[in-house]
Amino acid sequence: MAAQTTKKSDAVVVVPAWHPNLRNVAELPDTKVVRTAFFVNGAAMLIAISIGLYFGYGELKLFEVDKQIATWQHDIDRDRRESEAAVALYGDFKVEESKVDEVTDFVASKPAISVIVLRLAAITTKRIAFDGLGIRDTGVTIRATVKGAPDRASGDVSAYERQLRTDKVLGPMFRTVTLLNPRRDAATNRLVIEILCEFKKPVKTS
Amino acid sequence: MTGEELIAFVRKNLIAVTCAAVTLAIGFTIYYRSDALPDAEKVLADKTKEGELLAANIDDSSQLKEQHAAMVDANQVISDRMIQVGQLADNLQYFYRLESETGIKILDLRQNPWVPPGKGAPKTFFTPVGFQVSAEGDYPKLLDLLRRLETGEHYCRIVTCDLKPVDSATRGGQLTISLTLELLGTE
Repeated sequence: MAAQTTKKSDAVVVVPAWHPNLRNVAELPDTKVVRTAFFVNGAAMLIAISIGLYFGYGELKLFEVDKQIATWQHDIDRDRRESEAAVALYGDFKVEESKVDEVTDFVASKPAISVIVLRLAAITTKRIAFDGLGIRDTGVTIRATVKGAPDRASGDVSAYERQLRTDKVLGPMFRTVTLLNPRRDAATNRLVIEILCEFKKPVKTS
Repeated sequence: MTGEELIAFVRKNLIAVTCAAVTLAIGFTIYYRSDALPDAEKVLADKTKEGELLAANIDDSSQLKEQHAAMVDANQVISDRMIQVGQLADNLQYFYRLESETGIKILDLRQNPWVPPGKGAPKTFFTPVGFQVSAEGDYPKLLDLLRRLETGEHYCRIVTCDLKPVDSATRGGQLTISLTLELLGTE
């Protein structure tokens, strides 16, 4: 028995037989395990559903907003008359209030003269005698004669000037307290003084 | 593609074609209504603002009626304390009544001519009426006069005040007071 040896190089190359392809692919059924149409339909449905959900969500939001608008409109219709009445009443109130404000401003626009006069009388010692008191928008002018010897009178004047500055009632009213031209009265040999107490704020005249 | 082919294509891909048609229809609707939500939100914001404003007006006005009534009553009292600019005799009578009540002696009394406010002047409800008053009396009586003027029947502000002894040689005696003052009144 002759040994049959086959070599690789001797293998016959099998080539499929040639024949014309007469298949109409479009007409043939889809034989894939999962048909292409499934994916196409699936994708189309997915897109349609997604866009439908998006649209629905938008409409739902619009519905909610419309509902809130309707609620607010109802509240507005309910409150409008009462609010208009309140606004009108407030307008009247403001007019009435401005009358009161006008009176308050009028009264507060000038310092109470009686308070100043009374306080000056209270803090002024018997050694200082008023010759005159003038009160203007700018301040208070005190003209007085100081009893006693001139050297002692000068000390009294300084103390009085200091007292006017630091007084708990008058002090806060005055910006400056200035002693103007103190002089000795030749006839009486007494010191005659004039003190100008300027108000902190110039008071309006009208 | 002929009509038959088109129909065949649709029949064969009915689901996909239907989905595409639906998608297109919805897409068109979304585009068509794209302004609806922003517009509605803008309307909602406006309505909310308006509604809150109205509600706040009502809330804030809960005691307004009582406050308004109190203010009207207060103004009635104020009105009763006003002088009438043209009622010269009545106005001067006020000072003569003070003279008899305080015991001072009026030396001079004049009501300043009233000048109507100019066109540009701010509108006011009341008008100050000026008076010049000179009086004589002792210190307590003149102080009483000042107090009665400042806290009396009519609203008063003293513009200038000059106080000096009648005779500078006699201390503690009679004083003269010269006042420029304004009473608040109505025309």
